[in-house]
Amino acid sequence: MRNHNYLNMQVLKVFILLGIVCLNNSIIYGQDSMEDAIVSLSFLEENESKIIVTKAVDQSGLPIEDLELYYYVKRTFSLLPIGDPFNATDENGIIEVEFPNDLPGDTEGNVIIVVKIIESDLYNDLTLETTKNWGLLVQLPDQKVEKRSLWAAAANAPISLILTVSVMIISVWYIICYILFKLYKISKIKPLKP
Amino acid sequence: MRKVINKQQTYRTKRGKALLGHIVNTSLKYKLWIAFLLLIIVIGGYAYYRQLKFGLIVTAMRDYTSWGIYISNFVFFVAISLVGSLISSVLKLSKNEWSRPLTRISEIIAIAAIICAAVIIIVDMGRPDRFFYVITHLRIQSPIIWDVIIISTYLVISLLLLYLSLLPDIALCRDRLTAIPKWKKMLYRFMAINWNNHPKQVVMLQKVSRILAITVLPVAFAIHTVTSWLFATTWRPGWDSTNLGPYFVSGAFMAGAAVIIFTMYLIRIHLKLKKYITEIHFEKMGKLLVLLSLIYLYFNINEYLGPAFKMVGVEGEHITELFTGKYAPMYWFVQIGGLILPIILLIFRPFRKPLPIFIISLFVILGAWLKRFLIVIPSLQHPYLPIQGVDESYLHYIPTWEEWAITMSSFAWLLLIITVLIKLFPVIPILKAKLDSETIVKLNIFKNEKS
Repeated sequence: MRNHNYLNMQVLKVFILLGIVCLNNSIIYGQDSMEDAIVSLSFLEENESKIIVTKAVDQSGLPIEDLELYYYVKRTFSLLPIGDPFNATDENGIIEVEFPNDLPGDTEGNVIIVVKIIESDLYNDLTLETTKNWGLLVQLPDQKVEKRSLWAAAANAPISLILTVSVMIISVWYIICYILFKLYKISKIKPLKP
Repeated sequence: MRKVINKQQTYRTKRGKALLGHIVNTSLKYKLWIAFLLLIIVIGGYAYYRQLKFGLIVTAMRDYTSWGIYISNFVFFVAISLVGSLISSVLKLSKNEWSRPLTRISEIIAIAAIICAAVIIIVDMGRPDRFFYVITHLRIQSPIIWDVIIISTYLVISLLLLYLSLLPDIALCRDRLTAIPKWKKMLYRFMAINWNNHPKQVVMLQKVSRILAITVLPVAFAIHTVTSWLFATTWRPGWDSTNLGPYFVSGAFMAGAAVIIFTMYLIRIHLKLKKYITEIHFEKMGKLLVLLSLIYLYFNINEYLGPAFKMVGVEGEHITELFTGKYAPMYWFVQIGGLILPIILLIFRPFRKPLPIFIISLFVILGAWLKRFLIVIPSLQHPYLPIQGVDESYLHYIPTWEEWAITMSSFAWLLLIITVLIKLFPVIPILKAKLDSETIVKLNIFKNEKS
């Protein structure tokens, strides 16, 4: 009977402990709960300059002030930062960032603009990607008309280089093959009879 | 369980016993040495696992110093692999008969070094699985492709060089060695390719050996010249030089000669071959090392005098950093301790005795390795086109433990390959005289056990 009471007490203690842990967790997560910012992008072209206008509002539609946003343009291997090192929204939740005029795009002049919220205290991380026709047109070299050179594609290596390298490789490997052939011949020679 | 070999090995001559004894008997010292090398390889393997798992970020290589000690090590291994051609080709063709006992040692070192060089370059790649893209997307304009082609060619030639000189001795092992495990007997039988001392075989072997001795020379020059072009065709201070090809080749011959001296001393002591690797060999190798060091000194003066006299821009900064900057202690140790002092000391006969020349060659080897470090790293830290907003970590290069462990492991591999090849094959030709039909008939040395 005493043992039974003791067991009940232990179970009660465990439940109380679990209750405290759950309560603490809800307080902690409740305090740190982050919300998603709503970020919208619009693009302005005035005279020569191209401007990315970003507006950030919270879930209730109110503008977010002092929210830091990071701007990039996607390149082949990584993201190229554009704008100032720190870009924060004003009291209307708006930032204007000038897009450089000299960035190459693809063959149609398209560039991918990336806007990010990174490690904000109040809002979750966010990445927005938009394709915009603001880059310079890039003509890919046509392999058929590309001049043969050291910097050309593999198919357009200089003939003199191809010939020199090939002659050297063939000469040396011809000798190697000849030696291997001779070794084969050696292996076929039968011993002299005593 | 390992089978106990009960047969007792008998030898016909004292020479045979001395030169074949280590193949039959395995000492505890040998086993401990192998265990030690394997331990280093395992540690290196763990470091490489970390590098594969986390990427090259575990190394100290960054945007500026993108070639670290892996590439220094690669250049060092390529350099010492040239020693095979030095002894087997240059000395052989110039009829220096005294170098005959050193031929195999040099060829074994060459093979081990070129294998390690090829492997370390793959270690340097962040994604080794992409190595095959180098082949499938081959651009003949790229010096890296030239290097891949020439390294694989030189590896095949080095293997052939060793094999051709070993062939009669492999047949001898096949016929004479009885107290060896079955797998070794099978290996010798397979590798001896029916060699039976037929005069026709001897003539053919002599012919192909001579052809190979001539072929290896331009290939050896090409391998290190192309390695130097990896640097010379990259636009960085210190590398923008027309002197780089001969500078690398002469440095390689010097380092190779030192490695030969170092190895032959250890083989002489541990395999008890004092009668076969004599003081005369050390004496001659000492003189050869002085000659090669003087040539290298000449190219060193050429390499540094011009830029140091002009001190132009980044090139000047690079020279200042080497002469008086943070790399100065290493630079002057390499030039004085690894080049000038060895030349001066080795001019005197007492320093060409086995022990002193062994210690001196150790300094030359250390200097040669550090020299490759100095060729690769300081140049990379002074780019002609600096990056904006450079991270602090780009400006310095202190290799991480992973890099050191992998580098040490590559040395352990080098020593392991050398040790295993020495254990498997006679390291000094069993035949005292030069192999020709006349000698063979006279000595009847390859007579089969059964006949």
